[in-house]
Amino acid sequence: MTKLGAAPISAPGWTAHPRESIKIVDCDVHHNFERPEQLLPYLSKFWHNHLIDQGLHLPSAGYSNVPFRTNRSDLKDPTLKEGDFNFSLEFLQREHLDPWNVDYALLTGPPPFYGYTGLPDPDWAAALCRAFNDWTIEHWLEKDDRVVNSILISPSDPAQAVSEINRLADRKDTVAVMVPMGTSMPFGNRFYHPIWEACEEHGLPVVAHIGGGGGAARTTPTPVGFPTYYMESRMSRPFVASTHASSLICEGVFEKFPNLKFALTEAQQLWAVAVMWHMDSDWKAIRDQTPWLKRLPSEYFREHIRVGSQPLHEAETTEQLYQFLEMLHADETLVYCSDFPHFDWNDPVTTFPKLEPETQQRIFADNALEMLRIGDDWL
Amino acid sequence: MTRVVIAKVWEIPPGDRKIVVPFRGRAGIGVFNVNGELYALRNICPHKRGPLCTGELTGHIDAAAPPSASQAELTVEGDGEILRCPWHQWPFEIATGRCLVDPDVRVKTYQVLVDGNDIVVDLDD
Repeated sequence: MTKLGAAPISAPGWTAHPRESIKIVDCDVHHNFERPEQLLPYLSKFWHNHLIDQGLHLPSAGYSNVPFRTNRSDLKDPTLKEGDFNFSLEFLQREHLDPWNVDYALLTGPPPFYGYTGLPDPDWAAALCRAFNDWTIEHWLEKDDRVVNSILISPSDPAQAVSEINRLADRKDTVAVMVPMGTSMPFGNRFYHPIWEACEEHGLPVVAHIGGGGGAARTTPTPVGFPTYYMESRMSRPFVASTHASSLICEGVFEKFPNLKFALTEAQQLWAVAVMWHMDSDWKAIRDQTPWLKRLPSEYFREHIRVGSQPLHEAETTEQLYQFLEMLHADETLVYCSDFPHFDWNDPVTTFPKLEPETQQRIFADNALEMLRIGDDWL
Repeated sequence: MTRVVIAKVWEIPPGDRKIVVPFRGRAGIGVFNVNGELYALRNICPHKRGPLCTGELTGHIDAAAPPSASQAELTVEGDGEILRCPWHQWPFEIATGRCLVDPDVRVKTYQVLVDGNDIVVDLDD
């Protein structure tokens, strides 16, 4: 294993000297297959034929992205095709892990694939997740200790999701369960509790990434319908995340599963402060409706919910950003996410203003290491 | 005056570019040929230090008015004159280094000269 944070950063375009001490655990690294046919060896005969016959057929709301698609245009790969990005471990090592000296990278799959949460057939969705997980194991894991995985599950059939978690949870390189936020019910609903129970049983946190239904087809990305432009659809993400967070708290998920950690990523962060403040004041008046909540909602939030750091907004002043990090209790709740290889990624060095060393260590490494249960003796 | 030869003139035809790295540190400089005119920009985005000159080219995109039922005319002018940073997609005008979305931001530009067959950048400019 490489020494944490020791090597200099030599990323393209970078001329300054890196902070040598920076230790990086990246909780959002998107990996992808180049062609859907690559999943064929991992599908049963029926679904194998189904993929050949029907294609992936993933629903999408059809929002555009930035010009030149979603990925960073400085990442040149001779095999890059339209809409594809980061589909080999070698590419990830060369363009991200090595130049930025990333200590651990959590694979989170390709957001366009998250549309499986909007598939009407829960068996097809579950089969796709199983195939994607097995493809990931064969092509991405076991070759680089820095690469850790999240088990992709389909929330539309909790029983199959639990089976998938049970099947893969014991792998040492598997440190989380990944579910897109675009579901048809908020995550606190008792329908999902068997999934969270399995996560807790195996000591795996849930990492929920924006995408899938919220912005695809299962539900509209906002409660008032489909906005017109991509930028608007991005503005709806915090509402999806805050709905899930308040649902998890109100439905007593963290009373029921006191060791569960739940991260919500790529939905920005301002919403989290609003949820903590607003829920605490409401709780004092209307706790009688949810009397199983024994503590202030913000206490559940700070103990159990983690917030992905990307995209981090640029405040009007640096001072405001520091204040915001304090309001968020970033030293407890914030986990660094690069969103590699997308255009709106947040690099590990210029994204934040200079932080106190302890705060930096929490945001860039320790919050995530604790959530993912990666200890010093892990490898 | 510190002059550095970047390329031969035929190496950078209209619509093309050459990025010279290393050049004054690892980030280097990008020389662009926009409709026959040569421009040189520092290959570091003033926003988040991304490798600006490796970005894609676009034009000035505009609309006379917000879209309505009768009119939604989006126009593209000067295709190839705008460089978009691959990190976060901020647009820069190649000819001036001006950032189109923030008047306080510009990328450093250098004077480009043609000396015989050589494209030369004046570093002191």
